[in-house]
Amino acid sequence: MRSFLACIALFAPAAAMAAPDVTIDSTAFVERTIQDTSGKAKIVLEAPKVVTPGDRVIFVLTYRNGGSQPATGFVINNPLPAAVSYEGSEGAQPIVSVDGGKSWGALAALKIAQPDGSTRPATSADVTHLRWTFAAIAPGQTGKLSFRGVVK
Amino acid sequence: MNLWGSGARLACVQTIVSMCALAASLSVSSQALANGTVAGTNIDNVATATFDLPGGGTSTISSNTITLKVDELLDVTVVSADPGDVVTSPAATNQLLKFTVTNAGNGNESFALTAVDTGGGDDFDPSVTSVVIDSNGNNAYDAGIDTVYVAGANEPNLTPDTSVTIFILSTIPGGAGNGNRGRVDLSATAMTGSGSPGTSFAGLGQGGGAAVVGATGAQAGDDGYYAISAATLSLVKSAAVTDQFSGNQQIPGATITYTLVASAAGSGSVANVQVSDPVPAGTTYKLNSLTLDGGALTDATDGDAGRLNSNAIAVSLGSVAAGSSHTITFQVLID
Repeated sequence: MRSFLACIALFAPAAAMAAPDVTIDSTAFVERTIQDTSGKAKIVLEAPKVVTPGDRVIFVLTYRNGGSQPATGFVINNPLPAAVSYEGSEGAQPIVSVDGGKSWGALAALKIAQPDGSTRPATSADVTHLRWTFAAIAPGQTGKLSFRGVVK
Repeated sequence: MNLWGSGARLACVQTIVSMCALAASLSVSSQALANGTVAGTNIDNVATATFDLPGGGTSTISSNTITLKVDELLDVTVVSADPGDVVTSPAATNQLLKFTVTNAGNGNESFALTAVDTGGGDDFDPSVTSVVIDSNGNNAYDAGIDTVYVAGANEPNLTPDTSVTIFILSTIPGGAGNGNRGRVDLSATAMTGSGSPGTSFAGLGQGGGAAVVGATGAQAGDDGYYAISAATLSLVKSAAVTDQFSGNQQIPGATITYTLVASAAGSGSVANVQVSDPVPAGTTYKLNSLTLDGGALTDATDGDAGRLNSNAIAVSLGSVAAGSSHTITFQVLID
């Protein structure tokens, strides 16, 4: 391990030192319906440890470039947990995959092969992966991406 | 020779076959429910990011992993599995109602059963004598084979999405009148707990998490009805003779027109009514003379209700509602 690090230091010192310092943080919230003091139903977001089928979960990804160099060709991939059925994204819209990450596109453009050889339009429940692409993230830039799903 | 003799015969067969077919389809349909992720499963979400390195190549970083544990949801449904009111008669014993109890939650769960026979909204109270679990899963009540339910001892345990058929056996009160209905409610309650949706039982869920009451309140019920049906069928036969000399003499060559009127009285209906009548000895059936309610029927066994079979006419009337009647005629020639 030490020799491997030494090699990097030897042959790519500039790259290693100037690499964008990018972090990404994942959090999740669940929508719960509560009754407020006047007895009206109200939707609140909670940071859950546990969920039950049917719960609507909002996943939030926070990215940050803490370095001094822009991060170019910035791509975030999020495989959807198997137990979550995708419902949509807020803000920046991802391209999606419905075949385990093999092919990508806007949901409306994707098709699902049927057992009889025909195809049908893909629906949000078919989504397996999400991907956001940015040309560059400037030094100091942060952003949030979020998507919603229902626990199957 | 008794040309007036009434050999006409009625057959009323309850449509047991069609009821069994319906029950079978009900048990299959419960498989279509999808109640999702099994309790105890972890949902892990992690994102990765890739970006270009200034000196060429790319770098990949991962986010933290956020883990959500799927708790057990307690849900149950109960539906009557009878196609309609179960037809019975006063003082009848071991009269069956059938229900389907389905574990609509996402964990293995046992359900306590309660049958209530004293609810209102009906005309008489059946007396429930036993609640029986269809333990061999054949959707039919098998006395001595299926397990009699004993509260606290043998609550049916169901895996997620599966169903069990529950039979209720009742005695019908002797005083129940014609057309009266009697109701029995079956309810099922999750043994882990029930209550208002969202109620949580810490540590009691499958997989060690909480068990949370789902939208059904972890308790459900449905009702089934017995109905006293005293529909009775009567058949009246008459004959008219026309001889070849425009008279009414019973002589060789004369035509006898028989008229059979089948009437249902009382309440409800009589199912699967078949009328048959042999051609009297000493006469010959006049081909294609059979009619039903004024319309001609062919002698062949085909799409219409009538046929000539073994020198007897036979007409299928199907279900005859109380208060309605059907008229059948046919002609014979005296030999």
